[in-house]
Amino acid sequence: MRGHLATWANTVVAGAFAAGISITMPAAADDTIKVGVLHSLSGTMAISETTLKDTMLFLIEEQNKKGGLLGKKLEAVVVDPASDWPLFAEKARQLIEQDKVAAVFGCWTSSSRKSVLPVFEELNGLLFYPVQYEGEESQRNVFYTGAAPNQQAIPAVDYLMSEDGGSVKRWVLAGTDYVYPQTTNKILKAYLESKGVAGEDIMVNYTPFGHSDWQTIVSDIKKFGSAGKKTAVVSTINGDANVPFYKELGNQGVKAEDIPVVAFSVGEEELAGLDTTPLVGHLAAWNYFQSVDAPANAEFIDAWKAYTKNDKRVTNDPMEAHVIGFNMWVKAVEKAATTDPDAVIDAIVGVSVPNLTGGFSTMMPNHHITKPVLIGEIQADGQFETVWETPGLVVGDEWSDYLPDSKSLIADWRAPMSCGNFNVATGKCGGKAGTTN
Amino acid sequence: MVPGGPPVRDPVNDPPEPVLYMGFLRNVVAAGLMLAATLVCAAADEAELRQLVAKFADANNFQATEAVVRELGATGSPAVEGLLTALSQGSLYVRKADDAIFVGDEVGPDIKLRDPLNGEAVGTVAKAGLTKIKVNNTLRRVIRDALGGLTLGSNDPAVRLAAADTMFKNPDPATIAALDAAIAGEAVDSVKARLEQARASAVLLSDLGEADKMAAIDILSSRADQDSLSQLSRFQASAEGPLRASAAAAVATIDQSLALWQVGQNVWYGISLGSVLLLAAIGLAITFGVMGVINMAHGEMVMLGAYTTFVVQQVIRDTAPGLFDWSLAIALPMAFLVSGAVGLAIERGVIRFLYGRPLETLLATWGVSLILQQAVRTIFGPTNQEVGTPTWMSGSFQLGQLAITWNRLCIVVFCLAVFALLLHVMKRTPWGLQMRAVTQNRRMAASMGIRTPRVDALTFALGSGIAGIAGVALSQIDNVSPNFGQGYIIDSFMVVVFGGVGNLWGTFVGAMSLGILNKFLEPYTGAVLGKIMVLVLIILFIQKRPRGLFALKGRAVEA
Amino acid sequence: MISQRFFAAGADRRIAITISILIGVAVIVPTLNIAVAPDSAFHVPSYLVALVGKYLCYALLALALDLVWGFCGILSLGHGAFFALGGYAMGMYLMRQIGDRGVYANPLLPDFMVFLNWKELPWFWHGFDHFWFAALMVMAVPGLLAFVFGWFAFRSRVTGVYLSIITQAMTYALLLAFFRNDMGFGGNNGLTDFKDILGFNVQANTTRSALFAASAATLALGVFVTWRIIGSRYGKLLMAVRDAESRTRFLGWRAENVKLFAFTVSAVMAGIAGALYVPQVGIINPGEFDPANSIEVVVWAAVGGRGTIVGPIIGAVLVNAGKSWFTGALPEFWLFALGGLFIAVTLFLPSGIVGMWDSWQAKRSGRKAAADAADATAVPEMAIAPAAIVRGGRPAAGAAPEPQPAE
Repeated sequence: MRGHLATWANTVVAGAFAAGISITMPAAADDTIKVGVLHSLSGTMAISETTLKDTMLFLIEEQNKKGGLLGKKLEAVVVDPASDWPLFAEKARQLIEQDKVAAVFGCWTSSSRKSVLPVFEELNGLLFYPVQYEGEESQRNVFYTGAAPNQQAIPAVDYLMSEDGGSVKRWVLAGTDYVYPQTTNKILKAYLESKGVAGEDIMVNYTPFGHSDWQTIVSDIKKFGSAGKKTAVVSTINGDANVPFYKELGNQGVKAEDIPVVAFSVGEEELAGLDTTPLVGHLAAWNYFQSVDAPANAEFIDAWKAYTKNDKRVTNDPMEAHVIGFNMWVKAVEKAATTDPDAVIDAIVGVSVPNLTGGFSTMMPNHHITKPVLIGEIQADGQFETVWETPGLVVGDEWSDYLPDSKSLIADWRAPMSCGNFNVATGKCGGKAGTTN
Repeated sequence: MVPGGPPVRDPVNDPPEPVLYMGFLRNVVAAGLMLAATLVCAAADEAELRQLVAKFADANNFQATEAVVRELGATGSPAVEGLLTALSQGSLYVRKADDAIFVGDEVGPDIKLRDPLNGEAVGTVAKAGLTKIKVNNTLRRVIRDALGGLTLGSNDPAVRLAAADTMFKNPDPATIAALDAAIAGEAVDSVKARLEQARASAVLLSDLGEADKMAAIDILSSRADQDSLSQLSRFQASAEGPLRASAAAAVATIDQSLALWQVGQNVWYGISLGSVLLLAAIGLAITFGVMGVINMAHGEMVMLGAYTTFVVQQVIRDTAPGLFDWSLAIALPMAFLVSGAVGLAIERGVIRFLYGRPLETLLATWGVSLILQQAVRTIFGPTNQEVGTPTWMSGSFQLGQLAITWNRLCIVVFCLAVFALLLHVMKRTPWGLQMRAVTQNRRMAASMGIRTPRVDALTFALGSGIAGIAGVALSQIDNVSPNFGQGYIIDSFMVVVFGGVGNLWGTFVGAMSLGILNKFLEPYTGAVLGKIMVLVLIILFIQKRPRGLFALKGRAVEA
Repeated sequence: MISQRFFAAGADRRIAITISILIGVAVIVPTLNIAVAPDSAFHVPSYLVALVGKYLCYALLALALDLVWGFCGILSLGHGAFFALGGYAMGMYLMRQIGDRGVYANPLLPDFMVFLNWKELPWFWHGFDHFWFAALMVMAVPGLLAFVFGWFAFRSRVTGVYLSIITQAMTYALLLAFFRNDMGFGGNNGLTDFKDILGFNVQANTTRSALFAASAATLALGVFVTWRIIGSRYGKLLMAVRDAESRTRFLGWRAENVKLFAFTVSAVMAGIAGALYVPQVGIINPGEFDPANSIEVVVWAAVGGRGTIVGPIIGAVLVNAGKSWFTGALPEFWLFALGGLFIAVTLFLPSGIVGMWDSWQAKRSGRKAAADAADATAVPEMAIAPAAIVRGGRPAAGAAPEPQPAE
């Protein structure tokens, strides 16, 4: 088991902190450290990514108020990859090679991340990726601050199977037809079957991107749910299609008490476009909710609202991921006393920073972070109320234990292993040839 | 357990020890007090209830709250009804100062408190002074069931009906006696029938005799819906002998009738999808079909209509919340004007220079659509905007075994109305006559004194305005975001081309047949393959009829 | 007649210049990138090599589109599909080259198949481990699709707007299909994480320069081929079909065969462009099938000047350079700029930059040779500029443009 508890994290925090103050900072006042922001500001993904760009500008401004980093001011370099995947690669190259940024915060979809991976590998840049994703990846130059499937999907299913969650026996796995839902559903199916759920009690359904006519599917779900066993829907439906899906659910009278829907891509931002009264009780699994009652969170929300000068701006999970990722990077740079990528990659493993839910998140050797998992129910005011949470932190598991081919893989980027796909069965690092620099 | 993670401890099930101990102690004390109270004064009903209610303050996990709810439900007292409803809505609070329980209504930053039993106003407290009693789905279901039992004797037939439904869906042999009493006292026929069905479902689970169960099977099979089907098939699995046979027969009949209803359901879904397509495409049928402008900005006209709805609702929320149910009616003319005006501006500013070059209008209007999208993104932000649904458009009703949602029905009706109106304008008004004249023979029309440029501009504005009111309707079922229009543009073109350019009836038939085709394919192929197949069918169809379903007839070689 | 010969020579000269510039670029840029020290003023950064290499692939795609749109009057809104298919064929070769260096170290199956639990390679992936086979498929798959699609469409005399819309339906259907994981092309993530091509590391500077040179040379070849087609007897027929399809048909030509040939050749060119594009950007995914991308290609051709050979190349490079600049410098304004450009070009530059240049030249030379300039065919590239032509087949509508119902 690669489990780590918060106590472990605390010692690391202390260590990192001690390292932080022992550094004498070079004074080069007129110089700046550049930070790349690679989020789509136009096109289909602008709907989600624009907020993250604002978050980064906010974080950089806050950091500069605190005196910057290594005695230099931070400077944001914002580019617009326009929801166009090859353009992501082009912009990444521009940021690293031309603008010489110290780190890049960006990407949302897996496609965009996949498209920039070779660039970061080739030019040895740093990418902080803040969105929950399907896992099955660990790359030396990328830090995954969003949730891996075991930090979102599996705890959610555990909750629903528990007595509190309603002892669900029958499952609808509904998703948009692309890689993240397909992989997550594969993992979930294997997991459910390992828990003794029969194949006939699992219904899998895929829809195209931006699907807006949910009548048939919602009525199928209703029918599937009327077989007498407690039924739940696990939704990996992509952002845009969620609003019509929830509207149809509400209108067809699918109540959360009867058939709860637990979603992995529906956050505060998505609910902002909805009247949530008919949806009260439907669930979402995240690592952060705006409603979390913690001093760090309250402080962050106030500062964020002041920064955006908008009292109604909501916060969400990928924003928290950027907050954590940014603070980790800052800490690692301070620890290494340089922004040199190799030094930062070495320094950042084990760095621990406060997250917004009142605990600490730590960067693990597999470049994923530890997070608490929260299950929240939708409230009438468009917020979530936490009904369940993991007491400790969960380590992001990059190679799922429920997929036959990735079971025996692990990632550890610390020397001497320094490998993203070490096969414990064969004792070999599988893709070493690909990770040269 | 979370793989690769630490052992997961459930904070709700395993609360910290001391608290549990304290809570337990207090519960014992409270129970003791209550027992004493009952002994001393059996008539102090309300006092007893208050004792029970007070337990909420100590219930620090969902199970404990659930236990209190069950106890309250078991009292059978109608006084707890309001309290339980409030709990399920999350508006039951504990005052931190003295652990007293209140029903609260949020008023800005404060909460107005009411007594949980008699509803008397008690005063107002800041939110920080209260703790909300948390509920989750399981608890809500328990409350609903408890209320089901409590409300069986309600004065309102609708409430009794809901209670009967709840009990039907959660059959429990223990309730048979209560149901018998309720059936005997019931005056309303429809409620009585439901109560009998609820009783029948409970009878199947009970240990009553064969005759009773036979009667129950009959009652359930007459209901003939999905729920009775699942109850009967579960019963069939466990029954034996003649009961099993008759249950099997009932299941078979229900299956058959449901299969028929399924076809009806698909047709209805098809019509409703078709009318969405028609609404989206009908404006295009005018700008593209009649004028020959490949209007790629059509989707953005729909989007402008949706945003107008959002703005109208925002204004109504701020100034006159009472008018909210009318917001869509108010938004309709506004959306028509906004989109129509933008359309007019586009025609005068860009398109009129491009007449006769249809393929270039495609490029220019694509440019316009990009600008409009980005403009909306700059003004309103890139995220979804909330467009509310008026109460009369929410929910659904049953027509036989068809569940018909009000908003879909409204859209179908609205779409037909728009179509009829448009037909009327085109066929029965002087303006429509001029439009058709200009379309058919421009020079002749001009010679007859029709001001063709004016007709062009107004026609384009009309098409855009119709797209705008389509946006009002579509805002009810889809995201209102800057990408709104993009989702409809390709489908709209397919509909118009499939139906035959220049023919409104063609667009109508095209939209409806594509909608129904899509919905009949979907159950077999899944939504993704279904959509691909429809596209391929359109491509093949165009080979067969290169001018669409209803081609305009003409003698020109290249008409 | 004399003037025509003279101006034809002018056009030849322009083609010759273009080809020599392209070949020059193919030699000089890689040299400046590899051989010149990075701190030298003449050094071309790798960033620029990759960027311009990408533009050159786009230029070839725009040229392919122009062959059917500018010279044959077929407005295809689905050329992105041919580009993407060529790209996928190349991507499949590159995936097979990864071998057991994938994250799961599976010697046969690409990574995405492994984690979706596929047990064996789908039949359509066989053969792609050979470069020759992949190279053949790069041309065959788009070519075949275009041939079959065109065979039916042109035979049924689907023309104008209808044709444009069904090409759009085609690329949209392919977009949806390639999004599906069950198709076996990696779903929305597409094919990525390439290691090497023909034994060379795709990330190496030399490989990248070689790919750049190959793109420039292929584009030069594309220009040459297009120019030969246009200049031939068949080219005249092509333009005849564009200008007056029925008249050509009445004269006894099989218009559908003429169109079919151009459409297929153009699809093959688009496929090759896609194949060159993929190793340079390192990913191919269904986003390339997006109908919006195909429309953008149309705009490149329109900006540069459709119905000219050089125009689409200039258009593709200019618009994409603008895109690179705007999305970096003024991200919020990129769509305003692009949208404005669309409108401005269609309103003020109906024959594009090259067309405008030509008419300006014509005006100047017109002073010298007024008689020749009066002839509509005075400028060779203008002779085939389509502003007047889309209206072809109809009686001249007079000076004022007028709406016509869609055909």
